[in-house]
Amino acid sequence: MSDDLKIVGLLCNWCCYGGADTAGTARMQYSPNIRIIRVMCSGRINPSMIFKAFQEGADGVFVGGCHIGDCHYDAGNYKWSRRSKIVEDILEEFGIEKERFRHEWISASEGEKFQRTMEEFHKTLTKLGPLELE
Amino acid sequence: MSYVLAKSQNNEILEAGECGGAVTSILKYLLDEGLVDGVLALSPQDDVYDAFPVFVTDSEDLLKTAGSYHCAPTMIGDLVQKYFIDKKVAFTVKPCDMRAVEELITRHKINRDNIYMIGLNCGGTVSPVSGRKMIDLFYEANPDDVVSEEIDKGQFIIELADGSEEAVKIHDLENEGYGRRNNCQRCDVKIPRKANIACGNWGAEDGWTFIEINDEKGQELIDGAKKAGILETKSPSDAAVEGRSKVENIMIKMAKKNQDATYPTVSEMTEWSRCISCYACRDVCPICWCFENCELNKPYFKDEANIPPVPIAFQGVRLSHMSFSCVDCGQCDDVCPMDIPVSLIFDKLQKKYYDRTGYVAGVSDDIKPPLYSPEKTEL
Repeated sequence: MSDDLKIVGLLCNWCCYGGADTAGTARMQYSPNIRIIRVMCSGRINPSMIFKAFQEGADGVFVGGCHIGDCHYDAGNYKWSRRSKIVEDILEEFGIEKERFRHEWISASEGEKFQRTMEEFHKTLTKLGPLELE
Repeated sequence: MSYVLAKSQNNEILEAGECGGAVTSILKYLLDEGLVDGVLALSPQDDVYDAFPVFVTDSEDLLKTAGSYHCAPTMIGDLVQKYFIDKKVAFTVKPCDMRAVEELITRHKINRDNIYMIGLNCGGTVSPVSGRKMIDLFYEANPDDVVSEEIDKGQFIIELADGSEEAVKIHDLENEGYGRRNNCQRCDVKIPRKANIACGNWGAEDGWTFIEINDEKGQELIDGAKKAGILETKSPSDAAVEGRSKVENIMIKMAKKNQDATYPTVSEMTEWSRCISCYACRDVCPICWCFENCELNKPYFKDEANIPPVPIAFQGVRLSHMSFSCVDCGQCDDVCPMDIPVSLIFDKLQKKYYDRTGYVAGVSDDIKPPLYSPEKTEL
């Protein structure tokens, strides 16, 4: 591995996880820093999971969910999208750059978008360097 | 919504109560008629700096609770949900109490049908410790000789045993770091309009209480008390209504000014490194109701070896749970043994949330806590 930046990825089972799978089966190349955790829906992600990831040494946290309107459970991604704003507000308070936290809607067929997003996110984090929490 | 001026018909109450004794009379009416099982009211202790909530079931005992106590900032909301969940109970509320109760109602922790909220207009409260110090420094009196205190016309007025009064402008006190509690200085909800009725002396003539009736239940309450012969009412003049809203507006304007001044971020505040993980702020918070199920108690967040805790894994988690519902009651500031201004950050995030959604905790009419609603909207 060229660097040891750690990205924790929380991906929804029905869309973004499928997207990562598609990227993988199509052998698309992206930086290998992400550790993927599969969740059933982006709507089940609590802000505290993000905070825990940062506390345990993640340099960035990525959340992937279904496109708005495509949620397997109807409205889970709406809930997440509202929650993500709170997460942003709180991270700002604790001196964590808001660029370290990113969320994106990626469907199961969008392997290419997953690859692109990962590359972008990795680039952003490389610029920011490792996260230091006091 | 309508306005009345009210005054007690009971001489004992008139004497004991403040400006007409209407509140005590209404509570007495509720008890005597058996409309409630009991009344939760503040009972003064040895001096004016100490009062604690008592559950009164005999209307004779109500007399002891009459009067106002600015130096005993308490919180009624969590008491009601912890101990009186299945009782019919009436209680007086400051605006922050009312907001806490409203938030708990939306969380199904309090049943609206079981409670009577008698609102009290509130210009702010004073912490007992700094209250004592302040009287020692700025007044010519000994703090122990004070028999009663009052906030009126921008002044903090104390009355001594011999009947003499002394007043100092609150503005001057606050410039020196005393006066009202910090959260009260920035609070912009001065009249509890979600309580059944909101009482106070703003705009009222001497010896009368100005009451704003907020809902049908409040109207029934006033009508009932009148019928029972314990309360007399008259309608206020236009000048009185105007005077009252003028007082309110001045207060709100002052609060807004204070809001502009304070609010550093957590990472800028050195106070947080003093945290000793005692969880007192969580335990006292009226909105935090999970108790032993609190996420902070879970093994994956319990971090006893690490003191002070990593702020984001302690206050960050609490912020994400309830900051959007923070009612800015300041209880967390009061109980913190390390004097961390906890409420500052919670209030700040509630204000941010307001900017995003227009939701004011305990004041807006939303049926569900905003983050949990099933609505299909983005922010």
